[in-house]
Amino acid sequence: MKFAFFQGCNIPVRIEQYADSTEAVLQTFGIELVRIPEFNCCGYPMRNVDEKAYIMPSVRNMAIAEKAGLDIVVICNCCFASLQKARNVLATDPALQEEFNTLLAKEGLAYHGTTRIRHYLTVLHEDVGIEAIRNRLVNTCKGLKLSVIHGCHILRPREVTQFDDSFVPRITDEIVGVTGATSLDWRGRMECCGAALAGLNDELSRRLLQEKITGARQAGADCITPICSYCHLQFDTTQTNMATETPGTQVLPVLLLPQLLGLCLGLDERRLGIARNRTIAASDIDHIKSLLGPPVEEKKKKVRQQAA
Amino acid sequence: MNFTVLLTVAVTVCLIGIALRLYVWFSQGIHPPPATSTLPQRLAAAAKALGGALFGPRLLTILKSIFLDLLFQQRVFDKNTLRWLAHGLIFTGFLLLFFLHALDSLITERLFSGYVSTLNPYLFLRNLFGVMVLAGVAIAVYRRITLRPQRLKTYAGDWAALVFVGGIILSGMLLEGTKMSSYSTFQRMVEEYGDVAGDEELQALEAFWVKDNGLVVAHKQVAVTSALVEQGREISGRSCIECHAANSSAFASFTLARITGPIAAAIGDAGAVNFLWYLHILFCLSFLAWLPFSKMFHIVSAPVSLIITRIMGKENGEPANVLTRQMIGLSACTHCGACSLECSSNMFFESFHNDFILPSEKVQFLKHIAAGKELDPATLKKLQQGLYICTSCDRCTNICPSGINLKELFVSSRYALLDRGIPETSMLSHFSFPLALAQSYVGDHRKALQVVEQLFRKSFTALADMVRPLTLEKGGTFSNPSYRSCYSCQRCTNICPVVRSYDNPGEALGMLPHQIIFSLGIGKVDLAMGAQMIWSCSTCYLCQEHCPNQVELCDIFYRLKNAAIAKIEEGGRS
Repeated sequence: MKFAFFQGCNIPVRIEQYADSTEAVLQTFGIELVRIPEFNCCGYPMRNVDEKAYIMPSVRNMAIAEKAGLDIVVICNCCFASLQKARNVLATDPALQEEFNTLLAKEGLAYHGTTRIRHYLTVLHEDVGIEAIRNRLVNTCKGLKLSVIHGCHILRPREVTQFDDSFVPRITDEIVGVTGATSLDWRGRMECCGAALAGLNDELSRRLLQEKITGARQAGADCITPICSYCHLQFDTTQTNMATETPGTQVLPVLLLPQLLGLCLGLDERRLGIARNRTIAASDIDHIKSLLGPPVEEKKKKVRQQAA
Repeated sequence: MNFTVLLTVAVTVCLIGIALRLYVWFSQGIHPPPATSTLPQRLAAAAKALGGALFGPRLLTILKSIFLDLLFQQRVFDKNTLRWLAHGLIFTGFLLLFFLHALDSLITERLFSGYVSTLNPYLFLRNLFGVMVLAGVAIAVYRRITLRPQRLKTYAGDWAALVFVGGIILSGMLLEGTKMSSYSTFQRMVEEYGDVAGDEELQALEAFWVKDNGLVVAHKQVAVTSALVEQGREISGRSCIECHAANSSAFASFTLARITGPIAAAIGDAGAVNFLWYLHILFCLSFLAWLPFSKMFHIVSAPVSLIITRIMGKENGEPANVLTRQMIGLSACTHCGACSLECSSNMFFESFHNDFILPSEKVQFLKHIAAGKELDPATLKKLQQGLYICTSCDRCTNICPSGINLKELFVSSRYALLDRGIPETSMLSHFSFPLALAQSYVGDHRKALQVVEQLFRKSFTALADMVRPLTLEKGGTFSNPSYRSCYSCQRCTNICPVVRSYDNPGEALGMLPHQIIFSLGIGKVDLAMGAQMIWSCSTCYLCQEHCPNQVELCDIFYRLKNAAIAKIEEGGRS
């Protein structure tokens, strides 16, 4: 299976480890992610300013994928939502589609809406499947407690994003569950990390972030697992910035979902770039690795099932 | 005019130009204001950094850079083979011609004892190098034309560079070809070097040169019989061949001579040779004089910039060197457009029609800012917007073939411009997010944000400031009609994470989410547009998702933000 890999602007320069670990995990299941240098920004940063300027870049990106005959796989929530939003808007606005197509034609591109936008978690959950993941596990990570934060733009508005159940999401829980780790039920699980306010109202943005850090800690999390790249940057970079400003603060380590999954699939931790997360200390990594163990029970069960 | 005089003038202009540009390297800068370090301070800091680089372990890095970045042009090779080929052909061909042909008396004669310009391999190589340059120029022209739809901008200066380089080579080839066909040149050569006894032998030699070497004799009939040609070949063998290889080895000029020969002969071959000689010399010398004032100065500055980047990466060194590096970078831009072709923000250019959104256009213009030139407010505003509409993806910096630290230049200039107090509404976009992450210019950012906030306060009336009671406005419509379904349950406000962040949310946010929907209901769109709430919205969509009546609150807030910015921009224009 082959997909066009839409990384957006933040991941290639600030969170390479997210792309690398996702690629490594999907590759284990024979899924190839093609990097396309022609992709531009998804448009999201312009959303506050102008709706049309926000949508147009995503239309070009989809036209590029269409030309390559590939569906798009996205990591970042905001990129995901932008692409889905553009698809959604154009589906009901043929005049706008024509306007954009006139513009795209200059570059030899055209948008017809044939490219599907997939989140990598949906690909893992639907195309690969939990059982297939379980069968490939080399380790489980029993005892690790994670606070997954979904990020807003992947879940809502549900009519646009079409990802999981926006009120009771289960994809992340099932994927974390298969690794043996615990996905905690905690207050901030489906709430905002404050990224959309950073640079506009830093105080409020950090207050929302701090609320989530405190919430995850109170729930007893060893690590926080952001799904969205903006959330990641809030928890990994802004949290570090905040900790530098207030010495003595203990940071809550960030562990990305494909990094955890990669460890359990026996992938090299350097390839997963775990140490590149700024908030994770060597001792945190050692702790996580100490929890890794062969998936004994499941295998026995399976053998028994097969025998029966 | 005498060649020496022309040459002296050209070299003088070139040297003055280079001196001026080097002076600019150490005297100008973008941000912080150049006054912070003086010229001697900057020279000293640069000398210290240079010394440190030359006499230390970094020397290896420099050598690596010379081979990989300068000679091999790895940065271009990694990105685009065709562009690499074009540059490589021009670079190699031109440089070899410069040393082996233009400076032949200084270099080639000393290196190769038997050097005569009309002998092989020199005759052949000159043409080979010339054709390489022309092929490179042709690819460059093709690229500039075909990439126009992909937002590659071309200025007169870009065409001028191609015309100069191509002109030098073409005029040289035409000159060589015209000399081949010229009877007067032939006569002069025979008189000077020929061992020809009598008219009969001369006729034979002429016949041979007409037949095999492209000589054109227009004023009289030359019998080209095979016997004469054979006799001529023999004479040529004993009196010419020692110093003059067959003209056909200069394959390009020789081909051209077949076309131009008859024309030159018709208008007077001696005059044509003379004219082309002047044309060739003028092309070469004016290129030399023009070089430091044009993008061709990159021959000097790009290597420096590339080596600095190889050593420093995107990091800033000594503060006194930051401005110098900015200036070296600005002078190293060749306006190749590679950055704009891969710019993440390039689609925003299509929406805003602001050239300054494209990195190549910004960097070209920033030298005016660095020079402290007074610019008209409209241009400044456009430049400021262009500098702000940037995703901070660093692609331009990573791709720049001249190794310019564009990221640093753009961030510095962004805040240098914002410092002038012109409100920038794009600050309210998420382009601000990576700036908040980077935590550089925190104070400047906050100050510039306050300027925008003041403009908002001036442009909209806040609910709290309204003295007269609210009245129902007629015909108040809004682009998203879902607000009409609101039945005032206030679930939106109760679930909002922003509202719960404040002790007194009404005061902090101007209006609460449900109040914004109410005000749309009574047609007060402007009132909603002026509420702080829409700018404090974290866009988490919880309100919209939980609204029992499908009011699309978050989408409505986005619309209000768009409309508010549009209104303010409109006001700024009128």
